[in-house]
This record gives sequence, structure tokens and C-alpha cells, in this order.
Amino acid sequence: MTEAMIDLELLQITELLLTASPEPLTPAKFNQVMDGRGGDLETIITQLNDRFEQQARPVEIVHVAGGYQLVSRPEHRHYLQKLHQKSGRLALSRAALETIAVVAYKQPITRGDIEQIRGVSSGSVLRTLLERGLVTVKGRDEGPGRPLLYGTTSAFLQAFGLAGLRDLPKLREINEIMGEGEAPEAVADAAE
Amino acid sequence: MAYSVHLDNFEGPLDLLLYFIQRDKIDIYDIPIAQLAGEYLEYLGMIKALNLAVAGEFVVLAASLMRIKAKMLLPRTVDESEELMEDPRQELVDQLVNYQRFKSAAVELGELAELRGAYYPVGGMELPASNGNGVQEYLQDVSLFDLMSVFREVLGRMPSTEPLRMAMEPIKLDDQMSVIRRALDSEGKIAFKEILLKAVDRHEVVVTFLALLEMVKRQQIVVLQADPFGEIMLQGLEAQA
Repeated sequence: MTEAMIDLELLQITELLLTASPEPLTPAKFNQVMDGRGGDLETIITQLNDRFEQQARPVEIVHVAGGYQLVSRPEHRHYLQKLHQKSGRLALSRAALETIAVVAYKQPITRGDIEQIRGVSSGSVLRTLLERGLVTVKGRDEGPGRPLLYGTTSAFLQAFGLAGLRDLPKLREINEIMGEGEAPEAVADAAE
Repeated sequence: MAYSVHLDNFEGPLDLLLYFIQRDKIDIYDIPIAQLAGEYLEYLGMIKALNLAVAGEFVVLAASLMRIKAKMLLPRTVDESEELMEDPRQELVDQLVNYQRFKSAAVELGELAELRGAYYPVGGMELPASNGNGVQEYLQDVSLFDLMSVFREVLGRMPSTEPLRMAMEPIKLDDQMSVIRRALDSEGKIAFKEILLKAVDRHEVVVTFLALLEMVKRQQIVVLQADPFGEIMLQGLEAQA
């Protein structure tokens, strides 16, 4: 028994909450349910994940959208895909991915600014993202016409497996990107 | 029958330019604008030859490429501080560089979504809706966009309110003339005011008045006024005769 050992009941309650929660379980929600006597959720999650592994359970807990979510282990995805008759993967067009990337990094952002960056009109693709709940209206810009400002939602974080916006991959600089395709040649050049 | 073909390759004009730049291993900070503009226009020409609609954005960028090309041909003045005037390509380069960053971020996000797709959320049962848990429950997960779409839906469901159109009862000059004639036949003399009082709306007043004028013209009635501002009386001439 180590000092970090958390009593079994607390582990069971937490697992139950994770199983029953339709949204990722946030520390705030956890504390509210436990009347502030739950302790540190992150520590409990770590222990639960360890136990799941020891017991070879088919689930694990991931940190997503500011909370914790019970998910299946990826090796079993085939069966769940058949059960749900759909892929768990979000099917988004390139245009939609581009648009959501711009919104994610630049939020809150107006449609005009999105179009300025992409160089193409983005109204319909933005509408699709709104309808799918990945993007939402965050308010209005103070500028002329008071255009709507868009931002990403918790569903966006969940769909992309991000714990928060800080977990977005870093925007890379152009040199890294442009150099990519030619990497082998660059090596060859250096060797000469 | 026109066929529409979707060229999925390029998301927009910036994407197309980046393709040329990458393919020809062009230094993005020193774009040979004439060459690039040439390639770009050739591509647009090809799209047109295939009878495909060229999106407006492509045409706009073609125009800016030509403008930049023209500016590059002009001798560049050096201002007093010996600094070069701004490169005409600068704005386009900034736009391309910025777009490229988001384009590759989109690819990375796509990969993240792919990874995440292997994990299925387990559990997360929705309890049957209960009554009386307060506003909180009802307002959960409602975004401004949700409100807007519901509002639009409700508006769409409203029966469309066509303005109510009343068919105008056609009032004919002849009819009004016979009305006046009948009134005069029975009463001999009648006040102008009284005749107009019988009219139900402006339209009828006008037609009645026109009928009076017509009857005066045809010398079927006379209009009499005993003293200034006095009562105007109508009298039938036939009746008199």
C-alpha cells in the first residue's frame, strides 16, 4: 500500500462517473458530484488507467476537451465500427479541414478573415462546420457591419482528440514545410 | 446538357500557385512572377477549354498576378533613405506563406482526427428527459447557432402571410349615372352632398362625381347653388321637362 493509493470506492465511483457521463468528465464536474471531497482527478485517472492495463480491460481513459473520457482501446475499433455501422473517424473534406484549421488557430475570427487567408469563399463550408457542431458563433466583431465571430467547440476538441486548444499542433514555418518533399535530395546535395 | 466536373486537386487559387511553386522548386521569397503568371494563365485557359466554370477567385488572382507583373517591369525607384521600395510581390508572398501554414495545419489536424477515430467513446448514456431540473438542463449545449437555426426553421414553418387582397368591386360610370337618375326621378331635387354620402369609398366618390360631370355635359341635369357656399343642388332636366 503506497501513500498515493486511493481507496477502491473512489476508483469505482470515478469509473462509474466516466462510464455514465455523456461528455468528458471535467475536474469541476467531478468536484461538484463529489461535493469537493473527490481529490485530484488526474491522480485518480492515472491509477485507473494503470489498473485497466493490469486487468487487461478493453478500455482506457483519455484526456480530451478539458476532461476525461472512457474510450475503447484502438485494437478493438473494428468491432465497434461494425456495431455502430460507422467509422469513428470524422469525415471532413479538405476544404472543411482547412477552414477548421484557420478557425482553430485564429479564433475568434470573422468569415471575411477566413476567406482572406484561404483565398476562396468559405460560406458554405463554414455552414457545414456549424451544423456539425464543430464551430460555433462566439459573438460579433466591433468592426463595420459587426460580422459574426466564429470559434471551435468542445465537440471539435473531442473529434480531434485534443485536451484543449493549447494542444493544437504548432503552426510550422514555411521553410520546414517547403523543405519536406525534397529532404532526400537535400541529403544527396550535402553529400556531394 | 452541361457536365460539371469537380477538380478536387486545388482548394483555390493560392493552392494552385503553391503547387507550381513546389513543383518547380521556386523560392517562395523570390518568385519569378512572369513565369508563374504564365503557368497560372495556361492552367485557367485549360479549365476554360474543358468548358468548366472558372471560380471568381481564380480570375481575381489572375488579375493581381498581371498587376504585379506589370509593376515589376517598371523601373523601381530608390527613395531617399536608399531603401528599396516595397517589392510588388510582397503582399502575394505573405498571403501564400500564411496560407501554406494553415494548409499544412489542416493536414496535421486530419491526421489527428484519423488517430482519434480509432478510439470509440464507451458509455455516456443519455438519461431519459426528466421534468423540472430547472433551466440548466434545458439550456445545456445550446449555442447561438442552434438558436438561429431553430428560429429560421420556425419562421419557415409559419404559414406564409400573403397580403389580403380585396377584389375591387368595379363601379361603372353608367351605373352611377343611373343611380343619380333614379334618385332625381324619385326626389326631383337632391343635394350634391347627399349623393356623395351614399358612396362607400373614395373610389365610388370619384366615379359618382365623374358621373355627375358626364350628366351635366349631356345636359341631363343642372347644378344649382342659391348663394355662395350654399348647398349645391342637382336637378334633373328631363324631370323638369
